[in-house]
Amino acid sequence: MEAIKEYFKLAIKNLKTRRLRSWLTILGIVVGIFLVITLISLSGGIKNTILKQLNALGGDIIFVMPGAIDNPLTTFMGGQMLSEEDIQTVKKTKGVEVALPMSQKSQLMRYNNEQKTIFLTGFPWDEGKDFLSNFQGWNLSEGTWPSPGKRELLLGSLVAEKDFFSKRIKVGDTVTVNGKSFKVVGILNSIGNKGDDTSVYLDREVFQQITGDREGGALAIMVKAEEGVSPDELAARIKSELDEVRKRRRGEDVSDFSVLTSEKMGSIAGGVLGVIQAAVMLFAAISILVGGLGIMNTMFTSVRERTKEIGVLKAIGAKNSAVISIFLIESGILGLIGGAGGVIFGLIVAKLIEGYSRASGAFLLEAYMPASLIIFGLFFSFLIGCLSGYLPARKAAKLRPTEALRSYE
Amino acid sequence: MEKSIIRLQDVWKTYQMGKVEVPAVRGISLEIFPGTFVSIMGPSGSGKSTLLNMIGCLDFPSKGKIFLDGQDTSILSESQLAQARGQKIGFIFQQFNLLQHLTALENVMLPMVFQGQEEEQRKARARYLLDLVGLGDRVDHLPSELSGGQRQRVAIARAFANKPQLVIADEPTGNLDSHSGQKIMDILVQFHKEQKGTIVVVTHDSIIANYSQKIFHIIDGQIVQNHKQSEQTIWKQ
Repeated sequence: MEAIKEYFKLAIKNLKTRRLRSWLTILGIVVGIFLVITLISLSGGIKNTILKQLNALGGDIIFVMPGAIDNPLTTFMGGQMLSEEDIQTVKKTKGVEVALPMSQKSQLMRYNNEQKTIFLTGFPWDEGKDFLSNFQGWNLSEGTWPSPGKRELLLGSLVAEKDFFSKRIKVGDTVTVNGKSFKVVGILNSIGNKGDDTSVYLDREVFQQITGDREGGALAIMVKAEEGVSPDELAARIKSELDEVRKRRRGEDVSDFSVLTSEKMGSIAGGVLGVIQAAVMLFAAISILVGGLGIMNTMFTSVRERTKEIGVLKAIGAKNSAVISIFLIESGILGLIGGAGGVIFGLIVAKLIEGYSRASGAFLLEAYMPASLIIFGLFFSFLIGCLSGYLPARKAAKLRPTEALRSYE
Repeated sequence: MEKSIIRLQDVWKTYQMGKVEVPAVRGISLEIFPGTFVSIMGPSGSGKSTLLNMIGCLDFPSKGKIFLDGQDTSILSESQLAQARGQKIGFIFQQFNLLQHLTALENVMLPMVFQGQEEEQRKARARYLLDLVGLGDRVDHLPSELSGGQRQRVAIARAFANKPQLVIADEPTGNLDSHSGQKIMDILVQFHKEQKGTIVVVTHDSIIANYSQKIFHIIDGQIVQNHKQSEQTIWKQ
């Protein structure tokens, strides 16, 4: 132990005499670890946020959406809708407690001689009020819920704010949507994502009247199972009922819709995030590898420069293990300092991005930074340092003292 | 018979120079006994440094055996040999070979680090030795802050750090002016007397040779004669 302490002192002196080169090598590791920490912290944060939102939906909510799930984008891009018959079929399926169809269209809204685009979203309020407040966690910051059948609007939190229209909208104000005037009766607290917070909500019947969407298509149906009914079983039942409708009506046997439990949605989201995380880790690993090569390069150069010194050390009684230790400690220190720098920068940048996301309100992102991530960063960089220092250290240890002493300074 | 510190038995050393084998040491046998001051002399290229390296167990012979303190070194592992070397042999080089970024004190302490000695013990011994070589007020200087003669004195202190049975010096005064060289020799002689150590010096310096109890003359990798001091004058012509 005493010896190791001395080797440490020697190693630190060696690094200090090559100060600039040591710092440049450390910088290489800082960049690599910085990338890893930032990316892990942010992708972990995104994952947590998404899982949290899915959890907020409640574990036993079932979503029925148009379009097959193997191409989820068609749901929102393709303009496919679920028909009124689909909605009725879902409602009548055994085990369904509530089925809440949702319609959505982007519309122009006028207020105070300004015009802005908003998402107009229609829910049947008689059933929707309880569903949304109990299972989706919606709550009002002021006003009341719209009454069914009346021209009353509920605003997402961002729509009401001053930044959206130049004047803040208050409960009781009148706004114009698609040429029809509405009374604002309530304003929601933030739901947590920009899409929902820039929506304007109203009764679905009124929605159909003013958009002329009398066919009554729904963009999605949210289903709550009855007490004691398993969501998975109910999802399967809804799927077979809807398949029946398609066969009877159109003679089709292709499922152009998806029935998903929130658990399933979670696993799909988790899978996508997993792939992103893996890709991110791959790039980070490459940058760490480059940092490691930097350490190796520095240490090899160092061995060559110090050949004579190594000869002296061996002549005065340094065993091979002592020479290896000194060089490994040096490269380990390079790795560790680089790792510490990388962890610090990484966490700072992750926090900055978190702060930016809060301020912009575009998305809610909490940087994920548990102690294990910091420990992992430090340990990993130390390991990289030692690994990349091993070959140079072994080369140094294998030098024959006479040959080393003969080399020119 | 008295036990020798180092014994060479028909030792050969051949270097590979491209495709040609160049024998540097050709069948040398010799014994060095405790407490003697031995000089090795010879023209450059005669193989005396190679011989010295093998006496110091820094190099393995191509053929033949070397016994350090009665122990056959050819059966020792590299680590065991390093350990034995650190314990029993001290080195003084022509180029001083101090570690540039360590102070005089740290340089002298280093061989004791490799023997696993306690820090307090190391410090005390190193201070004592630096005092002996007259550098008691320079312990915290780096080699670059010392003159050539002072550096060599640090190197001597380092060589004696582990109380070696054998101290080997390869032209210790070769890089010094005559005044510093004289001082170095005085110190070596003083160490020899006070520490009762065995000293082997490769030198061109007749003054050192004069002090020696035994001189080996090397020409073309072989010992020519075992001169006694009295015979030295003949050789010098």
